[in-house]
Amino acid sequence: MLRYLGVEIRRTIRDRRFIFFTMAIPVAFYLLWANVYGKSSGSVAGTDLNARAYLLVSMASYGAVGAALTTTGARLATERQIGWLRQLQVTPLRPWAVITAKIIASMCLALPAIILVGLAGVLTQHVHLSAGEWAGMISLMWLGTLPFAALGTLIGSLVGADAAQPVTLVCYFTLSILGGLWMPVDSLPKTLRHVAHWLPSNRFAGLGWSIVGGHAPSASDGLVLAGWGLLLGVLALAAYRRATVRS
Amino acid sequence: MNAIAFTGVSKSYGTVRAVEALDVTIDAGSTVALLGPNGAGKSTSIGMLLGLVRPTAGEVRVFGETPDTAVKRGQVGAMLQDGALVPGLTVREVVSFVRSMYPEPMPLERILELANLTDIAGRRVDRLSGGQTQRVRFAIAIAGAPRLLVLDEPTAAMDVESRRSFWASMRDYVNGGRTILFATHYLEEADENADRVIVIARGRVVADGTPRQIKAMVGTGTVQFTIGDQPTAGLDALPGVHTVDIRGPIAQLRTTDPDATVQALYATGLRVTGLEVKGADLEDAFVSLTRDR
Repeated sequence: MLRYLGVEIRRTIRDRRFIFFTMAIPVAFYLLWANVYGKSSGSVAGTDLNARAYLLVSMASYGAVGAALTTTGARLATERQIGWLRQLQVTPLRPWAVITAKIIASMCLALPAIILVGLAGVLTQHVHLSAGEWAGMISLMWLGTLPFAALGTLIGSLVGADAAQPVTLVCYFTLSILGGLWMPVDSLPKTLRHVAHWLPSNRFAGLGWSIVGGHAPSASDGLVLAGWGLLLGVLALAAYRRATVRS
Repeated sequence: MNAIAFTGVSKSYGTVRAVEALDVTIDAGSTVALLGPNGAGKSTSIGMLLGLVRPTAGEVRVFGETPDTAVKRGQVGAMLQDGALVPGLTVREVVSFVRSMYPEPMPLERILELANLTDIAGRRVDRLSGGQTQRVRFAIAIAGAPRLLVLDEPTAAMDVESRRSFWASMRDYVNGGRTILFATHYLEEADENADRVIVIARGRVVADGTPRQIKAMVGTGTVQFTIGDQPTAGLDALPGVHTVDIRGPIAQLRTTDPDATVQALYATGLRVTGLEVKGADLEDAFVSLTRDR
């Protein structure tokens, strides 16, 4: 399984589109927004963070969620369509190992977005993070990408190759906008704010906001995320089995 | 010991019966061709053999175990009909990855050599020609040195030259006492490469025997000419001929050896005009075999 994990990661890194969309875009957006909103020294509504630190986490999350979704959904759907997954199925590699490796690979591929946006914040926007905060933010946010990686593979198993891309994008933008990654949740209408509260993307960024703000991450963020991770992980496994064995 | 055992295996898709009551055992160490026209149930049978398709009824065993277990233990390697390669890796990377999953794989260089890939081992698999891709797929199938190798129409997209070199590689591989099952719709391919041919049509076994026996049953071709009102007696005694069909002025001979038949035909002293020699029309042959049952 480790070999497969390595193969998956290597393949993706060779894809230039991946580098562009999951690394360059979040960093560019961060620098843009931080320069637009970072001038005001006040804190972002509903938080005790200034805009530059707040946006660091938002854009790192935006990039990480994007990486987790785009390295799974459409790719898996295509591999299914071209018959590669059937070829894998007639090797000793088990279906659960395929899907687990895919999810872990996708989580690893989300790391650069978190690290690069973090670096951009610290190096150019004067966001201060202690070594412990850095380590905490990266490791917790890395674990936090699990639900998104699982969601991506779920899409890849359920939806055909043509539809996987748009479905992934709809999920991505819904999660990003409603999860408060583009604008603070407090600026959303009231009903949407309730929805946002239960979204994994909001809780995911919540972990980062707590750490960057110098607080311990909240248990409820962790629990909601873990719940999503478990639910989507189980569904992803089940959907993968269904997609590969013709009954 | 049986490498493969199908016992009363059926598979239906809705109301369509793809495979009906299949009872077949295959000895370890044999090379068997599964011969049949498109839609005969070859791929469905192979799917069940590999655990990709669940039978509606009956039981499939591979080396005495379920297909899933046999696959998991690395006893099976397969070249599927539409197993495309995943982009982004080199030939060497793909082959060595697949190889690494098997308990007792072949040495990497040996696989590349057998599949004739040594020269292009560093090339990305998404930049290969059709024939090269087929060779990589063959390499993937043999990488784990499986005891059972299953090939579903392995030469379907190949030209004559690649086909020849493919079977040459194949024979090199078989020399280790392994069991091979391959599906094809070319009788010549079955004839030249298998020691047993199982003919299936409409989901049933319609013939099962050595290539020689099967050829005698279906014929490998027809020799047709205008006989006019000359006598037809003796045509059925010409070498290879097993059926004579006279339709008006046209005589049609079904033969296992068209070359010998044509030579002997000229030696009869008959005036032969409008000669046409055709390879076996397997579709026809299968239909007649099925009807006979």
